[in-house]
Amino acid sequence: MTVVRDPARPAIKPALPAPARRPRRRANAAWTYLLLMTLAVLFAGPFAWLVLAALKTKTEWVAIPAKILPEAPQWGNFTQALTEINFTAYLGNSLFLSFLYAVLVTFSSAAVGFGFARLRGRGKRPLFVVLLSTMMLPQILTLIPTYVLFARVGLVNTYWPWVLWGLAASPYLVFLFRQFFAAIPAELEDAAIIDGCGYGRIFLQIFLPLSRPVLVTSFLLSFTWTWGDYIAPALFLDPDHTTLSVAISAFYRDPHGNPDTTLQAAAATLYVVPVLVIFLFAQRYFIRGVLSSGVKG
Amino acid sequence: MEAERARRGRRRWSRYPSRTFYLFVSPWVLGFALLTALPLGYALLVSFTNFNGRNSRWRWVGMRNYTELVRDADVIASLVRTLAYTAITVPLMVAGGLGLAVLLNRRLKAVGLFRTIFFLPSVVPVVAMAIMWKLIFNRDAGILNAILEKVSVGPIAWLVDPNAFYALIILTLWGLGGGMVIMLAALQSVPVELEEAAVVDGASRWHVFRHVTVPMISPVIFFQVVTGVIASFQIIIQPLLLAESNQVGSVALVPQSTHLYMVQVYEEFFNNNRYGFGSAMLWVFFLVILAITLVVQRSSRLWVHYQVDSEAER
Repeated sequence: MTVVRDPARPAIKPALPAPARRPRRRANAAWTYLLLMTLAVLFAGPFAWLVLAALKTKTEWVAIPAKILPEAPQWGNFTQALTEINFTAYLGNSLFLSFLYAVLVTFSSAAVGFGFARLRGRGKRPLFVVLLSTMMLPQILTLIPTYVLFARVGLVNTYWPWVLWGLAASPYLVFLFRQFFAAIPAELEDAAIIDGCGYGRIFLQIFLPLSRPVLVTSFLLSFTWTWGDYIAPALFLDPDHTTLSVAISAFYRDPHGNPDTTLQAAAATLYVVPVLVIFLFAQRYFIRGVLSSGVKG
Repeated sequence: MEAERARRGRRRWSRYPSRTFYLFVSPWVLGFALLTALPLGYALLVSFTNFNGRNSRWRWVGMRNYTELVRDADVIASLVRTLAYTAITVPLMVAGGLGLAVLLNRRLKAVGLFRTIFFLPSVVPVVAMAIMWKLIFNRDAGILNAILEKVSVGPIAWLVDPNAFYALIILTLWGLGGGMVIMLAALQSVPVELEEAAVVDGASRWHVFRHVTVPMISPVIFFQVVTGVIASFQIIIQPLLLAESNQVGSVALVPQSTHLYMVQVYEEFFNNNRYGFGSAMLWVFFLVILAITLVVQRSSRLWVHYQVDSEAER
């Protein structure tokens, strides 16, 4: 880590009176911590309030004035959330679609990234410019006309759209792979070519295994995209075949049709916890993913 | 054969001509043609018709959808709201991300923990995010009004007009940790010597930040602004999910103040069955995004400092 204002750097210390600065610095750090703590509470607060809502009884939730803590934590809300709707079926759909898309898009993006990084061809530069500009293109722009088209050819309410999106590679992930592959020294593939290796084998047996960190990043990112996606399943899938995200957003109802808030909160907790756990264990992969999107190519 | 390959190693691409390249990039090329270009082209065609989604008896109406669109009060209002939303959120997101990054870019205890906490919301799926914030903004049971009541404010009905707009902005700002991570990496890429040199020359911390650090990371700030503008123009799910809705993907109950441009498009398509009109709106949106990107890119030369870097040309 680069530390910009590091006090312990003796090399270029201007002739300032060091003892006079130290107390100010300590006070500074205290203020910084106070600020950071406040912000941390603001950022983490919504998670806490979700879990607290999930642990309340229905009357506790609507009580006025609002209660912060439940009288006794209602763990039963979680089991009820699993049975109130067909939770496991929606969970299965979510897992299946996320996995399917993540595997396909990771592999196709790796291949395309390899092509842009290591191969030459007519029109490669303009193609790459097109690829980069589609990174900026909002998904929603093509999603609605895609839905209209797919409805006409009977692809709605099937999982085929996700297969096609997976096979089509993601410009963002292509860019991720391309940057990684472009940095690998040419000697590696030269040696393979001398050994009579074709580019198919060079890709599969040399470059793909080398790119394991990018493969993991790509898989995790694309998995969480699909897991968290709402608009595509809401548009393309019937309520019976839809994903957990759509189910949680709308299916928890009391007999009067009003939202069953505490159960919904419990379900949302179950839905978000896997993402948070994956994130906490694989944070560096997510950071790698975010970074490649923020640095101009 | 092997020897010849070795000899011609530098020019191997001439014997593996474009074919291999196209074989590798074909998934994306085909995908782009079928899943991006085709739908966009289809939308362009439909935008010149009165197609209603079901009836096959549509006819060409020329530019009528476009001329109606610029006179449609609902469309204009949704566009103005989207511009306001963008003008408020993008500067706050970028400045907030930079601010957090500056706070965390020093040797403090538990800096990693804070970074994780701030970054975490940006990976939360949008459905969970909306549910969480609806619990907070709930008029009677929400914690926000409970806190405000302590200082004798409220209760405020956050999720209806006109407050829903501010609720949406707060929800958006909660996710600024993604930008923070990018800013943090940018700050750490600034050569320490440069800032130290400025300190030696007697510059204050603010001056170093303003005249050394910010210019050095201005390409990243610029990129954040562009992606931020585009991201906020396409907002649709958050207003949909924050609204009190009783069916999947319904825009019927989205409050006026969060009835943004894409919500309007969605309504034209799926509530009013005006596919032609909705497609025209999509194309206007597409052209606006292109224009913004171009304008911002042009104007960036005035204030963005790019370090001369041959690596970037590769």
